[in-house]
Amino acid sequence: MLGYLLAALSPLNIALALVGVSAGTIIGAIPGLTATMAVAVLVPMTFAMAPESALILLGAIYTGAIYGGAYAAILLNTPGTPSSIGTTFDGYPMAKKGDGDLAVSVASLASLAGGLIGAIALLLLAPPLAKAALAFGPVEYFWLAVFGLSLIAALSTGEFLKGLIGAAFGILIAMIGVSEVGGAVRFTFGSTTLLGGVETVSALIGLYCVPVLIELVARPDRHLDKPAETRGFRLPEAFAILLREKFNLIRSSIIGTLVGILPGAGGSIAALVAYSEARRSGKGEPAYGQGNPGGIVATESANNATVGGGFIPTLVLGIPGTPPDAVILGALLVQGVRTGPSLFSQGSSIVYTFIFGLFLATILMLPVGLMIGRFAYGAIVRAPKAGLVPVVAFMTVIGSFAIQNNLTDAGIMVVMGVVGWLANRRGFSVSPIVLGLILGRIAEEGFVQSWTIGDALGNQWAQFFGRPLSMAIIALTLLSFVYPFVPQVKRIVRDHRAGIRAPMLKRAGGAAILRDCIAIGVMAVIALTFLVQSHHLMAEAAAFPRTIAIAMLVFCMLAVAKVLFTGQVSEDLSAGSTPRRIAVPIAMGLAVALVPYTGFAAAGIVMSLILMAVAAHDRLSVSSWIKLGLSVAVIMVLFTVLFRDLLSVPLPRGMLFRL
Amino acid sequence: MKRIALLAVALGLFAGAAAAEDFPKGPVEYIIPFGPGGESDVSARLQQPFFNKLYGQEFVVTYKPGGGGAVAWSQLNSMAGDGSVIMGVNLPHIIIQPKQENVGFTTEDITSVYIFHYTPDAIVVPANSPYKTLADLIADAKAHPREVIFAGSGKGTGNHLAQVSFDKLVGMATTYVPFKGTGAAVTAIVGNQVKAGWSYTTAAVGQQGQLRVLAVATEERHPAFPEAPTFKELGFNVVSGAYRGIAVPKTASEEMRKKVSDAIAAINANKEFRQKMIDAGFALVDIPYGKEMDAFMAARAEEYIPAAKAAGVLN
Repeated sequence: MLGYLLAALSPLNIALALVGVSAGTIIGAIPGLTATMAVAVLVPMTFAMAPESALILLGAIYTGAIYGGAYAAILLNTPGTPSSIGTTFDGYPMAKKGDGDLAVSVASLASLAGGLIGAIALLLLAPPLAKAALAFGPVEYFWLAVFGLSLIAALSTGEFLKGLIGAAFGILIAMIGVSEVGGAVRFTFGSTTLLGGVETVSALIGLYCVPVLIELVARPDRHLDKPAETRGFRLPEAFAILLREKFNLIRSSIIGTLVGILPGAGGSIAALVAYSEARRSGKGEPAYGQGNPGGIVATESANNATVGGGFIPTLVLGIPGTPPDAVILGALLVQGVRTGPSLFSQGSSIVYTFIFGLFLATILMLPVGLMIGRFAYGAIVRAPKAGLVPVVAFMTVIGSFAIQNNLTDAGIMVVMGVVGWLANRRGFSVSPIVLGLILGRIAEEGFVQSWTIGDALGNQWAQFFGRPLSMAIIALTLLSFVYPFVPQVKRIVRDHRAGIRAPMLKRAGGAAILRDCIAIGVMAVIALTFLVQSHHLMAEAAAFPRTIAIAMLVFCMLAVAKVLFTGQVSEDLSAGSTPRRIAVPIAMGLAVALVPYTGFAAAGIVMSLILMAVAAHDRLSVSSWIKLGLSVAVIMVLFTVLFRDLLSVPLPRGMLFRL
Repeated sequence: MKRIALLAVALGLFAGAAAAEDFPKGPVEYIIPFGPGGESDVSARLQQPFFNKLYGQEFVVTYKPGGGGAVAWSQLNSMAGDGSVIMGVNLPHIIIQPKQENVGFTTEDITSVYIFHYTPDAIVVPANSPYKTLADLIADAKAHPREVIFAGSGKGTGNHLAQVSFDKLVGMATTYVPFKGTGAAVTAIVGNQVKAGWSYTTAAVGQQGQLRVLAVATEERHPAFPEAPTFKELGFNVVSGAYRGIAVPKTASEEMRKKVSDAIAAINANKEFRQKMIDAGFALVDIPYGKEMDAFMAARAEEYIPAAKAAGVLN
């Protein structure tokens, strides 16, 4: 073992780990650039290296990218990678209150701890854990997805029905395009643009980030509260939080490791499951969802633990645990390294050198992450709105393109942004929609597969409910659905005993009730459209979306009844300038439309000119306008060059400009 | 206006003339219509260094996933035909997809210039399965219709069509469960979630010790699986798999098509390359541009379309 440790600590490997972690962190922080892509970009470089060094570099960039996603989540409310969706829940509220630096430090420490626990599992428990992962069949994946959806109960604070409607909406959107398991083309409304479906990451960027941009320009107040003075890394505070949250930290890291082992689940689900467990047992102020650092501890430790966890089936079974693992496995194959049980059992030097390299990379992540995080925080806190808005908007456009090298995705991102903003406004929170989008496909796959198997064996009941592992997940799901309502029920029972009658809540005005009914009505129309469209599909492709659409209609009816009966309306009526708001998606849409003609850089600059004007609330002197404009233009050009030449993204060359 | 049009025509001619001259004249973008990590990606990565050695230019591998490949194929003909862009093609995908619905391209729109290998179909079972031979499996399937459950990658795919065709050939009824990709299907097989799987030799290579290969759909035994019989040996005339090749935009001149075809052929002829591909479980074929390609495509269509109809993915 010591020999492998020393081999991992060669100067070359240390340098590779450092470069990998730094590059990964930066790539992960940019919305749209995912860990999978970060790894894929580096693969050709590794062919000239020894397999151990190649693996260390790839492992380092992977772990860095998963961690880097936290910055954008905390500072911009935009998950940099899907793994950090859960980090937005508490990270962004913390940053808004001026604690962004603390949030970044907590994320760094939690990622370190999670990464180490995942790596320890890989080192000591890999073969037995890999066996355990194989016990997970289609039914278990179906129930796991349903368990994930049960988080809606916790996430849609106050408006449970609207959360359910949102989740059903997300699931239906996920059904658009070619269904891999059903083998059918669905809900494209005859357009070839929608053939590829709604790509999850670009939809995420749209749903989370665009509403933030729209609200940012609407009012003159600052993006994040600025601290009075610079306060360093606030490491002692962050340490104290981790110490207080030690059970949460360990539980989340274990959840992350275990979910990472399941091929096809991945970091986003691990972090969400860990978050819901933390929230269930979490106490203390402020509440979860309003800036409790415990939320960041849970999500960031869990998602980094999936790195080590995901390598377990990859190296032991030759089955990739997460999408980046699939790329790493391909790279190993090209190098001629055979993964599989023999690789582990024969104590191959490659595996152990790599595992120690992963430890090394995880530890290096802390100093690297703190430095980059401090820079990112400082830059975003200090940036004037008129500079921040166009740069972030440009990142989202070019990032959504880069996921699948497809401009359609960038267009869909802008559309989803408008959808997200409207939904927020009308009291539908975005998170249930995102849950539906991510989990819908997994749920459908598991459902169709289980159904096919159950049908062949002639016993659906045993198939869906008879397996011990399924029963355990179903029990957890019920618990997670019911638990958030326990305090409410307790209060009602207590009040009833004490003879206190619940005070009548004031009914909202007629206009508000009408607005709410219209919003729910629109959702009902969407459900109906999907229902009608599913009519001509073959049974296997139609069953799942049809069920969801019918459920969505029922939820809509219940929601309307509830509004009319109780008169309670949830909506967001924050003030601000409507023309400025409308200008944001229009400018972004314009940029997407211009790209084929002008290329990315010029389209970005045109968009920036509009957004700078829209975002500026203070009077600026001509010279500061010019300075700001020039720096924004330079950033656009730099980004374009970075994407094309460093990340080899095949950006379309404009007909007018080459950049 | 007229002058601009003239200029455009002149430029176009100039570009066309330059394009006809040689291949490669710079880095070549090699578009994979799927995400990274799959068989198409691995093949491209294996070809990369040999292309560089033979021609002194780079293959720049990029990914354009979506719609099971349809997103990339529907955009192929809007790309430059000057030899700076080539795209991977997969069968049966490009034959089946356009017959299902409007996917933005037809099979005839895709100018395939070379088919370089196929991943042979194979029936695999978990290492601890009671099926020791293909005969065991067939006997059980005949005794218990539909209860022998196969995992495979996707619907209307090579795996699925192989299952449907083989059921018909043998006169048995089995159940096919589609999974999202070869990896997920193999996981289910290794984990005993299903009784067997229709998979590819490439997937079985990484699973030796965990999977038993009952039969391989090649002409002769695959060197990576010397123990596993071919279907032919067992009396079933099945030679099939998922074929991969290269296509160019239709604006590419006849000369350019020929040149790209020759370049891929040269890589495929390299001894070291062949060995690497075989070790990874691929079976090499050489179908160059021209009459051979047309005949090959026609033969495949004749094979796939009736199978897809029987499988219920085509009306």
